[in-house]
Amino acid sequence: MNPALTIANKEYSLANRSLSTYIIYGVYLLACGIWFALNALKMGAADMRGIFSIMHTLFLFFIPALTMGSIAKERSTGTLELISTLPIKLSHIVWGKFLGVLFQLATVLLFTLVFAFLISLFGIGVDYGAIFTGYLGLLCAGSAFIAIGIFASSLTDNQVLAFISALAISGVLFIIGRISDLIPLKLFATIEYLGFDYHLENFLKGVIDTRDLIWFAAVTIIFILLAQFRLQAQNLSQER
Amino acid sequence: MLAIKNLSRSFGDIKAVQNISFTADKGEIVGFLGPNGAGKTTTLRMIVGYLQPDSGLIELDGENVFDNPLAASARIGYLPELNPLYDEMMVDEFLRYIADLRRMKEPNLSERLELVRDKCGLDEVWKQKIATLSKGYRQRTGLAQAILHNPDLLILDEPTSGLDPNQILEIRDLIRELGEDKTVILSSHIMQEVQALCSRVIIIHRGQIIVDDSIENLGSYISGTSEIVLELEAENPDFQPWLIQYPEVQLTEIEQKDEHLELKFTIPVEMDIRKELSAYVLDQGWNLISIYKETQSLEEIFHLLTSQEPFYTEEEILEEEEMLSEGDNKPETEEEATSLEETQEPSNEEESSTKEQQ
Repeated sequence: MNPALTIANKEYSLANRSLSTYIIYGVYLLACGIWFALNALKMGAADMRGIFSIMHTLFLFFIPALTMGSIAKERSTGTLELISTLPIKLSHIVWGKFLGVLFQLATVLLFTLVFAFLISLFGIGVDYGAIFTGYLGLLCAGSAFIAIGIFASSLTDNQVLAFISALAISGVLFIIGRISDLIPLKLFATIEYLGFDYHLENFLKGVIDTRDLIWFAAVTIIFILLAQFRLQAQNLSQER
Repeated sequence: MLAIKNLSRSFGDIKAVQNISFTADKGEIVGFLGPNGAGKTTTLRMIVGYLQPDSGLIELDGENVFDNPLAASARIGYLPELNPLYDEMMVDEFLRYIADLRRMKEPNLSERLELVRDKCGLDEVWKQKIATLSKGYRQRTGLAQAILHNPDLLILDEPTSGLDPNQILEIRDLIRELGEDKTVILSSHIMQEVQALCSRVIIIHRGQIIVDDSIENLGSYISGTSEIVLELEAENPDFQPWLIQYPEVQLTEIEQKDEHLELKFTIPVEMDIRKELSAYVLDQGWNLISIYKETQSLEEIFHLLTSQEPFYTEEEILEEEEMLSEGDNKPETEEEATSLEETQEPSNEEESSTKEQQ
């Protein structure tokens, strides 16, 4: 098996054994569920745009909580030294960590299918295509959030600091599309393009645009590479 | 097998490792000894590829490890300092994880797992969570991880630190066994450890190798002379006729103890004249009570060689560089040792020297 998958598999199974993971899952699902019950369900909404938007907003806290330990904890316990002296590349380590958290995110998104089920029960004229693309969009946005979180975790051996830096970096990308009042009109189109919302919006409408896919992939790859460079810069062997 | 050539590494202004060179052969257990902060861990981390050297070469069987770091690390087993492990994992699960990352395949994998389980005595805790292990078992798990893939070169960074005496003996036995067909480099700040395990010792201090020799030869690094103490009963014994035969030997002290005289002779370290001296004493009809050679203990040697501030001040670095440029890059170990010795107070030497009784 590819070492990245071995690492992802181990990350995922260790996370599933830890109580803190379930607390993080629980808080996230509870927050989404409360919003869903108070708004979408009460109004008998037939689409999931509202709940998707909330799920996306809560990624800001949820995903840094999942990623904060990924490299920071390995560094503080010293196991980073152990795995980086094995005959694997550093890219295996960072992509393995990335995939491990992505599986966790997918697991949690599976639970939110309950919302889709309830909407299909109560809503009239449900657009299942848009629900599918919405989930796809959330996974894409989630990947970008995870990459940012892993990069933040690679900066430090302090998990709290990793959480805060991940929140700060992804917060900037999140808020950029929502502060139109503060941005000169001429620049707005460019700056809006850099934000998450602009790209997620198409997915929520039921449109898969390759430009959006490329944008999320680019953010993911850039931050994973940054994390890898960060580990390399710590004077691990070149070429790894 | 392993050859280190002119390896250097700094952290900012601190020169952690300066221009060190040594080699280690198959079947050799090399003790890497030095006080805390001497540069042991830095050197070992460079060998395993965790740290990039500023300059210098590390060769495994003639191949530069940085040309193909993955192939090199496949041949190296490494037990890092403080033995980091995944606490949430079980012992067998952890070893399987490491094996997977090393891409070990069945049936070799099961064979090796069974072998390290027996060798490291992990049977009892095989299915136990690592967080619940005792320190001794943790250390064994770390060792099992390091030898799992049957490496040619085994790097152990303070493998017995924090263990109780029984555990230390067990781990030492294991290392000794492993050293039979591998190259083992073992770092320690404890002299007895190196003495018990290693055929060769490299003492590193302030990032430089000050001694690289077999344990038996260590004594000669510290002083060019050793001392013979002679206790006898005689009135005004005259040694002049005997001393004329041995111009290197000097009678340095005569002291009247309760019932007898104590005489001290200084001789070159490679010389032993106890036989001749006692024969002379008996010839003269004096009562010989005892005669012994005083040698420095290894602890004392280690202390003398390394009991200075762990790092250079800037002035010292400049001085050192001047010295290095004069003396052909690599410092002459003996000169270095002697110069270190001169800075010590002589009283230190006498206090804790041991006695080798004849």
